[in-house]
Amino acid sequence: MTAQAFGRPASSVPPAPGGGPTWTTTAARLLHAEWTKLRTVPSTWWLLGTAVALMAAVGAGSVSAVSTDQCASAAACQEDTVKLSLTGIWLGMAVAAVLGALALSGEFGTGTIRATFTATPRRWRVLAAKAAVLSGVMAAVGAAAVSASLLIGRLVLPGNGFTAEAGYPPPSLGDGPTLRAAAGTVLVLVLVALLGLGLAALLRDTAGTLTATLGLLYLAPIFKTLISDERWAHRLERWAPMPAGLSIQSTRDLDRLAIAPWPGLGVLAAYAAGALLLGALALRIRDAAD
Amino acid sequence: MDATIEVRGLRKQFGQTVAVDGLTFTVEPGQVTGFVGPNGAGKSTTMRAVLGLEAPDAGETLIGGRRYAELRTPLHEVGALLDASALHPGRRGRDHLLWLAHSHGIPRRRVDAVIEQVGLGSAARRRAGGYSLGMQQRLGIAAALLGDPPVLMFDEPVNGLDTDGIRWIRGFLRALAREGRAVLVSSHLMSELEDSADHLVVIGRGRLVADTSVARLLATASGDRVALRTSARTQSMSLLAKEGAKVAADGRDSLTVTGLPAERITALLGAAGIPFSEVRAHRATLEEAYMELTRDAVEFQAVAAAEPDAEPAAAPAAPSSPAAEEA
Repeated sequence: MTAQAFGRPASSVPPAPGGGPTWTTTAARLLHAEWTKLRTVPSTWWLLGTAVALMAAVGAGSVSAVSTDQCASAAACQEDTVKLSLTGIWLGMAVAAVLGALALSGEFGTGTIRATFTATPRRWRVLAAKAAVLSGVMAAVGAAAVSASLLIGRLVLPGNGFTAEAGYPPPSLGDGPTLRAAAGTVLVLVLVALLGLGLAALLRDTAGTLTATLGLLYLAPIFKTLISDERWAHRLERWAPMPAGLSIQSTRDLDRLAIAPWPGLGVLAAYAAGALLLGALALRIRDAAD
Repeated sequence: MDATIEVRGLRKQFGQTVAVDGLTFTVEPGQVTGFVGPNGAGKSTTMRAVLGLEAPDAGETLIGGRRYAELRTPLHEVGALLDASALHPGRRGRDHLLWLAHSHGIPRRRVDAVIEQVGLGSAARRRAGGYSLGMQQRLGIAAALLGDPPVLMFDEPVNGLDTDGIRWIRGFLRALAREGRAVLVSSHLMSELEDSADHLVVIGRGRLVADTSVARLLATASGDRVALRTSARTQSMSLLAKEGAKVAADGRDSLTVTGLPAERITALLGAAGIPFSEVRAHRATLEEAYMELTRDAVEFQAVAAAEPDAEPAAAPAAPSSPAAEEA
């Protein structure tokens, strides 16, 4: 092996003292790197595929299981058909949480985090780039899953008596509340993925992060059924991330909600933002290698 | 900017264990610097500190005069192989290099060039989970070379390579240094550096044991002694002394010459027509020289290993146990 085999001699390397690429260039490169990381791991694709399939399947099951025959009259059912079509979010959230957590905890697990932080010493930028890429991917996949769910609802619901004549117009994105529920469901998936990412930055370990994220999401709805105290049940529904976030799916009887749709989503967003901030702080303080 | 690594008064502690204790040395460009010490001496900790992966408790580390965190495009300034097995098993080798390249806007053709350079070939298209240790090492070296940096650090790069691989990497390191790069290579086995290192930084228990050129270390360990047997003792002594050698008589017809190589002595005596029957150089191997230097540190390791209590259970990654750090 000769010296020429190494390409450019060392002296031709630009030293870049103080200069270097602009902020936007750095950001674009970092996003590109994180996108490459995410797309070159097989688990990403089967997780995303699973998310769409599960959400569509659960949605299909839910809309198939109801019928106006079960009610005194069609109107008496008071069914929120849009929310019902989007029931798959319950499983979709779990997959989003896993995807978000793995995006970072996987790096700590395999040790690639050292290469990551060596390439980008300002660690919060890594977290920001991961958050951006995850958000984009989750939004695209969420949009596909939500579209599929609503389409299934449109096809199945009229056959079960939920017709326009009975007061149940088919789910349509032209309808304001339906659009809010659809877009909101996509946002819930994005925020849950970010919650998983933030907790991974804080906890590092995959198993620990998944336990914490899924616990934070699913324990509140489980507790709610066990609590007899009305006031506490109400509080849980207002301030726990999952019940609050899912209020965005409601398209009717909004006055009966513990928290209004957008403020509810705001609560979930606050959890995600809090986790990301704490995570960024932890990345900065703790050594990368342990 | 000089392509150097400077370590100044570096100190790093994990719990009760002091991994690096006031370490100071400089890695100069244009040569291969061997970074040697027993397992657990603090080599990896030092390298991680240089890369900004661990915050020092005291002191600082500089690349080309700047702290790592200040580097805008670090991969263009320093390339490092720390832990070759730190790969996502599901990701293809080439994709691992690709994301690193993207982070610095390095073109794909450079990725393919370094794959070619380290001889990874078609294995780069396979998932890293199926890589042998040797393939992992080659991929890690390719990653270090991506940004064509003037400073390179390799932590135990020979680990897991077969004989051909070891010969390859020695030549590789020398060629990199010939191009003017500063190359730091750690090893717990001095013999691995025998034919590649120009300079040595030897540490033990986190402290500097020696910072010396390989030639000088060998000369010191060998005492640079040449045993000479001749009947013309006085004549030889004055001739060799005039040439700058230290000559001591240790027998009726035997001398010990220090400061002149055996070949030179032979030539001088021959030219002067002085008869001699034997000229024998005493050459220490690098391994011997190293054993002498680190005897204390090794003894400490043996004691520490014999006392399981000395290892803090709460910090499994702390390099208190040799196996923990180098594994």
